[in-house]
Amino acid sequence: MNEFYQKDIISVKDLEKPQFEKIFAATDRIIQMDPNERRELGRGKTLGYLFFEPSTRTTLSFQAAMALIGGTSIGISDVSLSSTKKGESLADTLRMMSIYSDILALRHSLDGSSRFAAEISSKPVINAGSGTEEHPTQAIQDLYTIKKEKNKIDGLKIGIIGDLKYGRTVYSLLYALANYDVDIRLISPESLKIRSDSIYEIQKKLSLKESTNLEEYIDELDVIYVTRIQKERFPDEEEYQKVRGSYKIGLDVIQKMKENAIIMHPLPRIDEISTDVDNTPQAKYFKQAEYGKFTRAALLGLILNQNGF
Amino acid sequence: MQESNLIVRRIKDGTVIDHIEGGRGLKVLEALGIDGKDGNVITIALNVPSGKFSKKDIIKVENKFLQDFDTNKLAVISPKATINIIKDYKLVEKRRVFLPNKIEKIFRCSNPDCITNSNEDIESTMDVIDKTGLILRCKYCTRILDVNQLKYC
Ligand SMILES: [Zn+2]
Repeated sequence: MNEFYQKDIISVKDLEKPQFEKIFAATDRIIQMDPNERRELGRGKTLGYLFFEPSTRTTLSFQAAMALIGGTSIGISDVSLSSTKKGESLADTLRMMSIYSDILALRHSLDGSSRFAAEISSKPVINAGSGTEEHPTQAIQDLYTIKKEKNKIDGLKIGIIGDLKYGRTVYSLLYALANYDVDIRLISPESLKIRSDSIYEIQKKLSLKESTNLEEYIDELDVIYVTRIQKERFPDEEEYQKVRGSYKIGLDVIQKMKENAIIMHPLPRIDEISTDVDNTPQAKYFKQAEYGKFTRAALLGLILNQNGF
Repeated sequence: MQESNLIVRRIKDGTVIDHIEGGRGLKVLEALGIDGKDGNVITIALNVPSGKFSKKDIIKVENKFLQDFDTNKLAVISPKATINIIKDYKLVEKRRVFLPNKIEKIFRCSNPDCITNSNEDIESTMDVIDKTGLILRCKYCTRILDVNQLKYC
């Protein structure tokens, strides 16, 4: 029996270690599967995506994943084309989309939008990023990347760097990591520190230290997860430039890292990681994007097939 | 007869909410939407000595019998309150307030970006995740909410 069949994926908070491990195992199978066999998983099925907030990468990743298992995708990836501009409620848009598709992927700027969507929709809903804190499929992809590239998750020291306050991927990643025995270092400018009330439920479970200085922990980290620092978050240009410079990953930083450490990034990057890092063995962010396609394909396959695969 | 019972007059029919934590009486009125507009007599006593060291508030609402739904609201504001239903001067029912696992349509989620604060047709729902510490979490945005700062729907 496949526990994901026709289930919604709303929040990482709903998933525990056994569920993560099942998705990882399914992803391993997806990767190894014969392409013809793989295309049977989504044959005749349609993914309906509703992106009320544009995200080219996540849209593409879902489309690529659906294509990989032989399904089709339809959807709205730009809010300006959407009927909500004409005053249609999210609920009605969802009802329409659940008529046209077998499974939905929703990206929306309001917190809790996906849980609401799941109540409205007659088809399973996958949260493709909602509000400021939820991006479960990104967290699954991130954990899978760590597992594949480090051969384990337990026992690792993981540094998360950059904008920890507004980065939705950061919160989902932390909640996901709370299921494992890991050591977390949060490295960010003072003004972009993590919102402690948002990690209230996992604070006791996580071994966690904070710093504003990347140098402090760089030589002991196994995983360096870099996030974007957006200019809009700063009151003035000067402050932004100062902060940006001190969290930039270049070849000089690579020198200070453990030799077998890996660098991850949810993408798109602006210039937090310089392009000359791309060819180093530590750079795993494009690999991470590729794993994203496979983990999403696995998830879609599990939700659409009663007996799993 | 106890001193507290003398402070407010006996009622023929209605509800006496007793043992409200001192200072919370007005919040209770607000939560229950009791504003006196229906014309019934409402008697409020604040800071009534209760036991040796503490104070309580008492509210008597005449001709109105509180339902379980109202009781749930009270549990969040004053968990030790008791509800006494009076009919023809007699106490016909006495119950403690009960803190439910879920609180619906009472408080507005304090997160302005929560879907429950949008134009969508959706009711606020909060899970009680810690009954002793009285910690609520919005079912939708999953924010942890401070009961004392919440506004009513
Ligand atoms: Zn909320």
